[in-house]
Amino acid sequence: MILKDRTAEELLSVKNVSKHFAGVIALDDVSFTINRGEIRCLVGENGSGKSTMIKIIAGIYPPDEGDIYINGHYYKRLTPIASIHEGIQVIYQDFSLFPNLTVAENIGINQLISSGKKIINWKDIYKTAKEGLSKVSADIPLDVTMEKLSTADRQIIAIAKVLLEDVKLIIMDEPTTALTQREIQYLFKTINDLKEQGISILFVSHKLNEVKEISDRTLIFRNGKKVLDQETKALDIKTMEYYMTGREIDTSLIAYSKVEKGPPLLKVENLTLSHGFSDVSFELRPKEVLGITGLLGSGRMELAFSLFGEMPADSGKIYIEGKEVFIIRIQDAIKHGIGYVPEDRIGEGLFLEQSIADNIVVRLIDRLASKIGLVKDRAKQDVVEEWIKKLDIKTPSSENPAGSLSGGNQQRLVLSKWLASNLKILILNGPTVGVDVGSKIAIHSLIRDLAKQGMGIILTSDDIPELMWTCNRILLMRRGRIVEEFQREQTNKEELYEHLVANNKHSSTINRVKINSKCKDSRRVR
Amino acid sequence: MKKLVNSREFVLFLILVLVSVAISIKNSSFFSASTLFDIIRSSLVYCIMAFGVLMVLISGNVDISFVAIAAMTSYSTHMLLLKLVYTGDITLYFVIAISMGLLAGLLMGFIITQFNLPIFYVSLGYMTLWYGFNLFFIGATMNFDLPEGMVGYYARFLVKVRDPVVGEAGLHISVIYLVVIAVFIWWLLKYTIFGRGLYAIGGNREVAIRTGYNVKRITYTMLALVGILAAIAGVTQSGYSRSFNPVLFMGKELDVIAAVVIGGASITGGRGTVLGSILGVMLIEVLNRGLIFAGIPAEWQKMVVGLALIIFISIPAIAEQRAKRSRYIAVPKENREE
Amino acid sequence: MTKRSTFIKNKRSHRFLSRFHIESRILLLLGAFVFIAAFFSITEERFLTPRSISSMAFQCPEIGLMALSMAITMIIGGINLSINDTANLSALMAGLFLVKLASPTATADYMSFFIIGIAILIALVTGLLCGVLNGVLVGYIGVPPILATLATLTLYRGISVVVTGGKTLTGFPKQLSVIGHQTVVGIPISFIILVAMGVLMYVIFKYTTFGFKARMLGTNPTAAKFSGINSKSITMKIYILSGTLGAIAGIIVMSRINSVAYEYGTRTYILLTLLISVLGGISPGFGNVIGVLFATFILQILSTGFHMLLLGVRGSSFFKDFSWGVLLIVFLIIDYFMHHRERMV
Repeated sequence: MILKDRTAEELLSVKNVSKHFAGVIALDDVSFTINRGEIRCLVGENGSGKSTMIKIIAGIYPPDEGDIYINGHYYKRLTPIASIHEGIQVIYQDFSLFPNLTVAENIGINQLISSGKKIINWKDIYKTAKEGLSKVSADIPLDVTMEKLSTADRQIIAIAKVLLEDVKLIIMDEPTTALTQREIQYLFKTINDLKEQGISILFVSHKLNEVKEISDRTLIFRNGKKVLDQETKALDIKTMEYYMTGREIDTSLIAYSKVEKGPPLLKVENLTLSHGFSDVSFELRPKEVLGITGLLGSGRMELAFSLFGEMPADSGKIYIEGKEVFIIRIQDAIKHGIGYVPEDRIGEGLFLEQSIADNIVVRLIDRLASKIGLVKDRAKQDVVEEWIKKLDIKTPSSENPAGSLSGGNQQRLVLSKWLASNLKILILNGPTVGVDVGSKIAIHSLIRDLAKQGMGIILTSDDIPELMWTCNRILLMRRGRIVEEFQREQTNKEELYEHLVANNKHSSTINRVKINSKCKDSRRVR
Repeated sequence: MKKLVNSREFVLFLILVLVSVAISIKNSSFFSASTLFDIIRSSLVYCIMAFGVLMVLISGNVDISFVAIAAMTSYSTHMLLLKLVYTGDITLYFVIAISMGLLAGLLMGFIITQFNLPIFYVSLGYMTLWYGFNLFFIGATMNFDLPEGMVGYYARFLVKVRDPVVGEAGLHISVIYLVVIAVFIWWLLKYTIFGRGLYAIGGNREVAIRTGYNVKRITYTMLALVGILAAIAGVTQSGYSRSFNPVLFMGKELDVIAAVVIGGASITGGRGTVLGSILGVMLIEVLNRGLIFAGIPAEWQKMVVGLALIIFISIPAIAEQRAKRSRYIAVPKENREE
Repeated sequence: MTKRSTFIKNKRSHRFLSRFHIESRILLLLGAFVFIAAFFSITEERFLTPRSISSMAFQCPEIGLMALSMAITMIIGGINLSINDTANLSALMAGLFLVKLASPTATADYMSFFIIGIAILIALVTGLLCGVLNGVLVGYIGVPPILATLATLTLYRGISVVVTGGKTLTGFPKQLSVIGHQTVVGIPISFIILVAMGVLMYVIFKYTTFGFKARMLGTNPTAAKFSGINSKSITMKIYILSGTLGAIAGIIVMSRINSVAYEYGTRTYILLTLLISVLGGISPGFGNVIGVLFATFILQILSTGFHMLLLGVRGSSFFKDFSWGVLLIVFLIIDYFMHHRERMV
């Protein structure tokens, strides 16, 4: 691949930008540039200043100090409209789409509004929509309502929407959070296509392996300062982690728990759920961390839900500590000592407006009360303090609402809710999605510790590194069945990944990407 | 074609037909022009108000003040015109009442947008306010002094038909209002930025703001229309009953909302059609009246309607529960490993 | 982990406000109550007399109990539009029993009380059953509360009409009026019942596991489900409780005016209860039930105060309708300013 001329025009130049909110410094003297046709990654933990930076570039906040140059134009005070006119578009995590409206309307609506017309010509909307979809070579019917589509499709539509504007820089905020590996590859292919057309991408992410794969140059923020600005080729993941967190993470020193030989904690026999999974059998031993992985549709999430009682299986047997149990509702699972940490912590795991203390005790509350049901305040306080300390949840007061915590702390809060009750088995569903590296490491360490203390842990995830860092054994599911089993010590990331994405015959739009795991630079592949 | 048959409106229409047929079998006099015209007339005003409710529901909100606005505009206009010894016909009533309705709607829009208040609770206060206003400032009794020009209004028919039971039955001219307004609202919802904006706001308000919809202006317009429609309904109903009532439609707000929801609008917003609302109102009206024909004594009607409502709302809820299960697992084909 | 940015959200003032976030409302209500009471005492000399206070104390329990009935369903994120018709139906059932079995004057006292006791039981059971139906629809079938309670209110009203033939029921034994008319150390029994129920609800929601789970359910039903909270059971219990409170309200009304009618209060009461709940600061997952009591008192003194002030003025009783509407909107606006400031912290 021919490298683009590095002295190509600068599209965006940020010079000495600082921003503070009520005394707290969000950005401190940050400067960087983005060239035309360049894929830039912005990496940073929560609180590093990256979201503030995006908002400043999009014109939503004005910087307190510093200058912004776009396309050679100087801006002392950028507004959203000006930013859009300069060709800067942001794709937020919700894709700015309406779930109840059709694909056509979602794509065509921007043009309509900016034209200022009051009356709608549906023919125009359809025409615009078709045009947009063709720019991303997607084959999605125009009359379907958004809510019926998958996340990946919605993302493509969001990009199509953006491409209809005269866009020069697309800022994507954590775009791969809800995508499977295969969909991520398709996204990357699209991003590369855009790059070929001279459009720049600012890709905000904390998934370092993706950053390494897709970007030309990488920016790393920490504590509001820019700490790294280099060509990605020259970086490795360890270095990036170091700069992100300010510390070294030596993964070779991970102390995995040793699985005990003996009767299994959990035994699942021929578990079947129609439209979910079929004939699933496996065992979980005490002190074991069992990973279950598979792409979306493989049945791993359904299996997790099934074991927790949210989607009880149609047939099959479940044994806990040798005794057969029937899990038909969530209360059953909990009664037998099974806990569940969700991926969507805000929707499924937390009561954001309620206090941190209440969130911790919500599972235990019955045990903290007298016979007639009155809550013993003292006992409650003790438990709360104990777990805030144990899990290192950073907050000045346990009475603060859970929503005041950062992402990583919130996930710890969800964990504490379960750990505070006596669990035998903990099911974790994508536990570090959207969580910064520091918290991720802490959570993994916690998982290993829990296993060491005797718990059996089931971790479903498609984050291969995560599985390698925590699990003793990994099961691979495909089309609702368990197809392979790996011992962590006998496999590696690359092998797992290969098996994960293997055997996918799919609709033509997605099939064009071929993944060659030996080739570091996947950009070469078309 | 499949889409048509699967649509909620078609199902409603089917139910409407079935119920009507069932009642007619029980009592053949139900199946007559006079009944039909009667039902149309009594559904009419509720349909007009229902369109206002529809717009609010689509935007993801609930408003109950429209009944009070109907009462206030019609009653106040009447008392005013009485004082001025007006002798003309109903047209001026409409003009004045609609202006009042417009202002009332705009005022509510102001309160909502200025202070970012939830529409439901404000409409609660607003409703009490206007009924109270009517009763205290204007008058507390029903008034039957119609101006000369209005005397024959209730019998102004568009079409007259010979009817075996009643002799003569007529379709009131106000059905024209309904048709015109229905078409207008339908057009608004489908072909204007305002209408699409309602659906957008109901779908995701945040995104609607981000996309550039002028939410403030849309709110004002929506509430202004609610006020106007309420005024039209109020004056028309008063014309039918040849009287002006300070507490007109009191207690009926929930019925109208129920009808619109049955017609397919979702309490959570983003959905709903004009046709669905009309069918919903008519279904309730047919149930209300038809039961008398079917020989069910007057006392039992409410109870039967209540039971019907319960059944009617339980079915989609149970279906939703079943669907939720498969929706969760049903990932679109492109993404499944097949 | 950046320490600074987390602290920005935990500044002392935010902590202070969030700690007293619920309590500040109570203070506001108390202040409003005092202010309005003072206003009327000054402008209307008959306001602060023992007779008028007593009359107010007799009038507010029924609406207060219904407001409690409404408020508890709002805390779990629902609503109960059928409370008025539940109250009427419950009272009607009791009334029918009484009318068939006891005459106003003849029977001996103890016999009467026994019969009245059974009648009250019947009313409570009716209220409970009404609550069960609501609980099934909302909790188990999953119908949105507005719709479900709309349907059930129609049903309950319908049953009331069938059962009475549309007529008002009267002619109850005089011992019945004890509840509505007698006092204990000068305080009306019905008022005591109101306060007792209010305190009971307060204790339940603030100090019991049931109340805790109910609040969590109101805050986030999905997380509640995943945390093992039995949402269906809690919803059912709340609606049962709501129905029972409604029944108590119905009994008190019956006792006070010595008659029962299916249309009693149907035009305005729901509105009032919603008004009181909003004033009292009830919202899904949050809400100090004591606020509901205070809001009831405020509405009562407003009602009586205006009535006295405007006595002789035509239609004075309607002015209070007008004022309630204005009051709600004003309160919502005040609320906005209060929270706006909180958000800016």
